[in-house]
Amino acid sequence: MKTDAQMDYQAEHNRMIRRARLKKISSAIFTLLGYAVIIIIFITPFLYVIGNSVRNSQQIWANAYPISWRSFIPYEGLTLENYSQSLGIGDVAKGMSFDISRNLGISLLSSVAVVCLSLIFNTSAAYFFGRLRFPGKNYILIFVVATMMIPQQVVLVPLYIVADQIGLINSFWAMVVPWYASPFIVFLLTQFMADLPLEFDEAAIIDGANLWQILWRVVIPNTIPGLITVSLMEFQFIWNEFYWPLIAISDSKLFPVQVAVASQFTESGPNWGIVFAAMALASAPVILLFLFLQRYFYESVAMSGIKG
Amino acid sequence: MTDAMMVPKTGDQKWWQKRKFQQYAVAFLFVLPALINFTVFRYYPMIWSARASFWEYSLLGGFKENIGWENYIRMINDEFFWDSLLVTGKFFLMYVPAVVIFAMALALFSNQKKPGMGTIRAVIFVPVVTSFVVVSILWGMLLNKDVGLVNSILASLGFGRISFLLDKENALPTIAMISIWKNVGYSVIILVAGLKGVPEELFDAAVVDGASPWKQFIHITLPMIRRQLMFVTVWATLGAFQVFIPVYSLTGGGPRRATNVIVYYIYSRAFKFGEMGYASALSIALLLILLIVSVVQMRLLRRDY
Repeated sequence: MKTDAQMDYQAEHNRMIRRARLKKISSAIFTLLGYAVIIIIFITPFLYVIGNSVRNSQQIWANAYPISWRSFIPYEGLTLENYSQSLGIGDVAKGMSFDISRNLGISLLSSVAVVCLSLIFNTSAAYFFGRLRFPGKNYILIFVVATMMIPQQVVLVPLYIVADQIGLINSFWAMVVPWYASPFIVFLLTQFMADLPLEFDEAAIIDGANLWQILWRVVIPNTIPGLITVSLMEFQFIWNEFYWPLIAISDSKLFPVQVAVASQFTESGPNWGIVFAAMALASAPVILLFLFLQRYFYESVAMSGIKG
Repeated sequence: MTDAMMVPKTGDQKWWQKRKFQQYAVAFLFVLPALINFTVFRYYPMIWSARASFWEYSLLGGFKENIGWENYIRMINDEFFWDSLLVTGKFFLMYVPAVVIFAMALALFSNQKKPGMGTIRAVIFVPVVTSFVVVSILWGMLLNKDVGLVNSILASLGFGRISFLLDKENALPTIAMISIWKNVGYSVIILVAGLKGVPEELFDAAVVDGASPWKQFIHITLPMIRRQLMFVTVWATLGAFQVFIPVYSLTGGGPRRATNVIVYYIYSRAFKFGEMGYASALSIALLLILLIVSVVQMRLLRRDY
C-alpha cells in the first residue's frame, strides 16, 4: 500500500517527466524551425540562381508566376547553353557579347598576382616588424597602422588621381599594383610572427644563417596557417572588388568579371538566363574556396575581430 | 701605451657601428617595398586630393586655377550634399541596429550544441564571401516587381505586388535589407567566437541561483561579449557610411535621390560630371566625418574598460 504522500510524490514525478519531455520536444521543434528559416532565407536565392542558370529565358519567364515548385526547381528543357555562351564556347557564342571567359581570366590573373606579391611584401614587412631590430621601429609601425584608419571607399577617388598620374589607369596593372601590400595584413602577420619564440632565430643565427635564411627556414614554416588565411583574404578581396576596377578600367576588354557582370545586367535586356550563368561563374570560385577551407575564412574574421 | 690601446678600440667601435648600420640597412630593405606602397597609394592620394580640393582640377587639364575654399563653400551650400548625408544617416539607422540584433540572434541560435550547427553557420556566412555585385543583382531580380520571386510569392498568396526598388519610400530600406543579408554572417562569426569564450560555470552558477534564460543573457552573456558587440557595431557603422555597390547596381541613387548615399554622390560628381576637385573636397569631408565617428566610438569602447 502506498501512502498518500508517496502517491503525491509519484504524480509529481510523472508530471515533471512529462514537462521535461514536452520541453525537449518544443525545443527540438524550435531548432528545426530555426534551421528551416535560416536555410530558406540564406540558401533559396543561391538555388534560384543555379536553377535558372540551366534553363533558357522563356522557361524562366514562364515559371516566374504563378509560383510553384517549378519556379525553384528546373524540370524540363534543361540546358547548359547559358554557361557555354557565358564562356564563349561554340559558334553561336562567338558572335554574341556575353562571353565573360576573358573577364574571368583577368580576375583570376589579378587575384593570383596580388596574392603572390602580397605574400612576398607583406610577409617581409611583417618579418621586419615582428622579428628584426631597428631604431624607431614602433613609429614606423604607427605609420603603417594609421593607414588602416583611412577607409577604402573614401580613398578611391584620390587614388584614381594618383593612379592617373603614374599611368596606371585603364591597364591591367591598375588592379594589381596599388594592392601589392596591405597595412592590415602586415599588422596581422606581425602579430603571428611576434608570437614565435625568439630562440628559434637565435639557434639559426648560431648555425650561421642570415636574415633571409631565417625568414625562409624558421619564420615562414611556422606561419603557414596565417599565410594561408591572409592569402584567402587577399584573393577574396581582389576577386570581389568592384568599385576600384569600375572607375580605374574603362576598356571593356580589361573588365574583371564583377564589372563585366554588372554591365551585362544592365545591357542584357530580357536575357536573364545568361546573366544567371554569369553570376554563378563570377561567385563560384570564392564560394568553393570557402566551402573547402572554412576554418581559414573564420580565422580571418576572428583575427580582424581581435584588432577591435 | 694607453693611446695605443685606445686606437684599435675606437677603430673597433667604428667598425662595430658600421656593421650595425649595415644590419639596419638590410633590415630596412624588408619593410621598404611595403612602406613605398603605403606612401604612394594611401598617404599621397590623401595629400594630393587635399590639395586638389583647393583647385579647379580636372583629369586632363590638371591644376587649372587656385580657387581657395570655393569647393568647401560650394559644399556647404550644396543641397545634394546635405541630402546625401541625410540619406546616409537614414541608412545607418536602418542598417546598424538590424545587423547587431540579427547577428546576436543568429549567433545565440547557432552557438547551441546541436547537430548541424556548423553547417548553419556556414550557410549564414556564404553571402559574406559572395561578391556584392552578384548579391545585388540577385536581389534585384528576386525583388523585381513583375517577375521577381518575392513578388510572385506575395501575389500567389493574394497580397499586392510591392515595388521594392522603384518606390521612393521602399528603395532605401530595400538596399539596407540586401546589405544586412550580405554582411550579417561576418558579425555572427565574431559574436560566436565571443560566446565560445564565456565560461560555462557562470551559467551553471546562474541556473543554481534560479536565474531565467533572459536574466542569464542580460547579466552574463551581454557583459561577457561586450568587446565583440562593440567591434560589430563599429564595423557595421563604417560599412554603413561606405555603402556603394547595391546603390550603383540597383538604383543609381534614385528614385528621386532617395538612395543617393554619400559615396555614390562622390562617385557621380567625380565620374559622371568630371568634377575631380569638388569630388576631392567631398572625399576629404567624408574622411573627416568617418574619423570623428570612429574616434567617438573607440572612446565609448575604451570607457568600458
